[in-house]
Amino acid sequence: MINFEHVYFTYSPKSPIEFEALNDVSLTIKDGSFTCLVGKTGCGKSTLIQQLNGLLFPTKGKVIVDNFVISSIKKERTKKLQPLRKHLGIVFQFSENQLFEESVEEDVAFGPMNFGIKKEEAIKIAHESLKKVGIGEEYFKKSPFELSGGEKRRVSIAGILALEPKILVLDEPTAGLDPKGSKEMLSLFKKLNESGTTIILVSHDMDIVFEYASDVIVLCDGKVSYVGKPSDLFLDDVSKYSLETPMLAKVVQKLVSKGYSLNLDKIHNLESLVEELKEVKHG
Amino acid sequence: MAKITLGRYSPYTSFIHRMDPRNKIFCLIALMVAVFFQYSTWEITFIMGGILFLIVLIMMFISHVSFKQLLLSLKSLWFVVLFLLLINAIIPPKDASMIAFSINGFNIYFEAIFQSLKIVLRLVLMVSTTMVLTSTTKPLDLTYALEWYLTPLKLIKFPAHEVAMTISIALRFIPTLLDETDRIMKAQASRGVDFKHGKMSSRFKAIISLIVPLFISAFQRSEELADAMEARGYDPKAKRTRYHKMRFHLSDLFAFIFCGAVMAGVIIVSHYGFTLNTDHFIPWLCIAGCGILTYIILLGIYDVESRKAIQ
Repeated sequence: MINFEHVYFTYSPKSPIEFEALNDVSLTIKDGSFTCLVGKTGCGKSTLIQQLNGLLFPTKGKVIVDNFVISSIKKERTKKLQPLRKHLGIVFQFSENQLFEESVEEDVAFGPMNFGIKKEEAIKIAHESLKKVGIGEEYFKKSPFELSGGEKRRVSIAGILALEPKILVLDEPTAGLDPKGSKEMLSLFKKLNESGTTIILVSHDMDIVFEYASDVIVLCDGKVSYVGKPSDLFLDDVSKYSLETPMLAKVVQKLVSKGYSLNLDKIHNLESLVEELKEVKHG
Repeated sequence: MAKITLGRYSPYTSFIHRMDPRNKIFCLIALMVAVFFQYSTWEITFIMGGILFLIVLIMMFISHVSFKQLLLSLKSLWFVVLFLLLINAIIPPKDASMIAFSINGFNIYFEAIFQSLKIVLRLVLMVSTTMVLTSTTKPLDLTYALEWYLTPLKLIKFPAHEVAMTISIALRFIPTLLDETDRIMKAQASRGVDFKHGKMSSRFKAIISLIVPLFISAFQRSEELADAMEARGYDPKAKRTRYHKMRFHLSDLFAFIFCGAVMAGVIIVSHYGFTLNTDHFIPWLCIAGCGILTYIILLGIYDVESRKAIQ
């Protein structure tokens, strides 16, 4: 469970370029949830996720991630951050920029080896996570710099999966991927989520949020402006958060206004909408 | 990267900020030259050092450079100080005569201590004047000024514009690359890299995991930039006008005279010492210079206050 308790964060305090990125953020992210973090650019999403594994410390307040405490007060903080970083993996935006090793498998094994796993075993873990993200064996020995942009992204995501984190944070993991690749990655995250990993996904694509999220957090200028289920969010007017209504939600809205009584909680994608419509027809 | 803000441009509107960058470079060089003069006795050396330090402190005050920033940038100098002291103690100056104390018959001379103090003072003065320059002048303005100084060299086919362009691009990308460094460090830290602790071998690996991606992104950026410039028809040989014109204001004239006066004063003191003789006309010029100094400083402070009042 992740708990934010009145978290404030200010960049370069007491200088002319001072900027308050988080303002009194309090929220809870449940274990095993698929939480999407949305909001327009510059609203503090990236700052918020960097608090999660102690890359940034709040200027006021504290963040509790399971047994770890990331607080503004030094004494309260968990001393060793390494275990936290294994527990909670972050895939940053444009994560392909983090590749550096001579071969794909070594790059993926780099993470586990940092946490004290022997090389042979780390390579074995690397192979498994590479297969998970759809990188075939023929790529294992290649240099990561020979790959295409999409493949690099997959390799870098595998680099975090290899840490086998209990909580996985992804910052725009599908930006720049082709539609097919994007769908594959998302279904991988969904599968991980079903096997017990908590997923926190930052996205600008509301269709993705509507389809996959179990919970949504909306940030607006450093403040939390909505926490709850995506169906409740999108069937309301979301332009006040400067968000777009997803295509499917528009359809559902139209159907509801035409008098169809649908079970909104069950509708996430086209298939589930069709199922619901069938039930309405039969019922 | 909050740590590397030392000497970064900070956007205020002080009197020094609004000075002509060409003039600022001239004044900086004048003050630096003044810092490096030799004097006949130690007393004069330290009095003059003190006066220069005071001038620089006032400049720092006007241009909103905090004393804390200076101390932070000097933090790494303590090793140099120790080293200087050691070298000077082992090899004392030739005319060393005043023994400060002796350890087991090994004499430490006052001259040795003074010598190291003098060098440290000079270093501090140099760092602080440069800091005033870089934190009050946008890097781009600095390169424009540099290009202006290099223009005469065009006569001997020196590529002044190209050099200035290269420097300004390099300066432009320093913050970008720092941000990139920060991003990559965070990404690698999330993969368990520990940049601060650990054994030599693992720290070496940590540095590699930072440098390789950084180089790749830098090359990528430069390629993209070159393409973008060519796509927009950039031609280094083309004649061009400027969006920002550099102007020499009245305040620049004051600063120019002031720095000239400081330099003149320093030259005089290093020649004649403090003994003021009416036969020497120049010392009086020096005093006049000091008069102008106070006037300008008052002007600067007045200026800052009035600016604040407007805002």
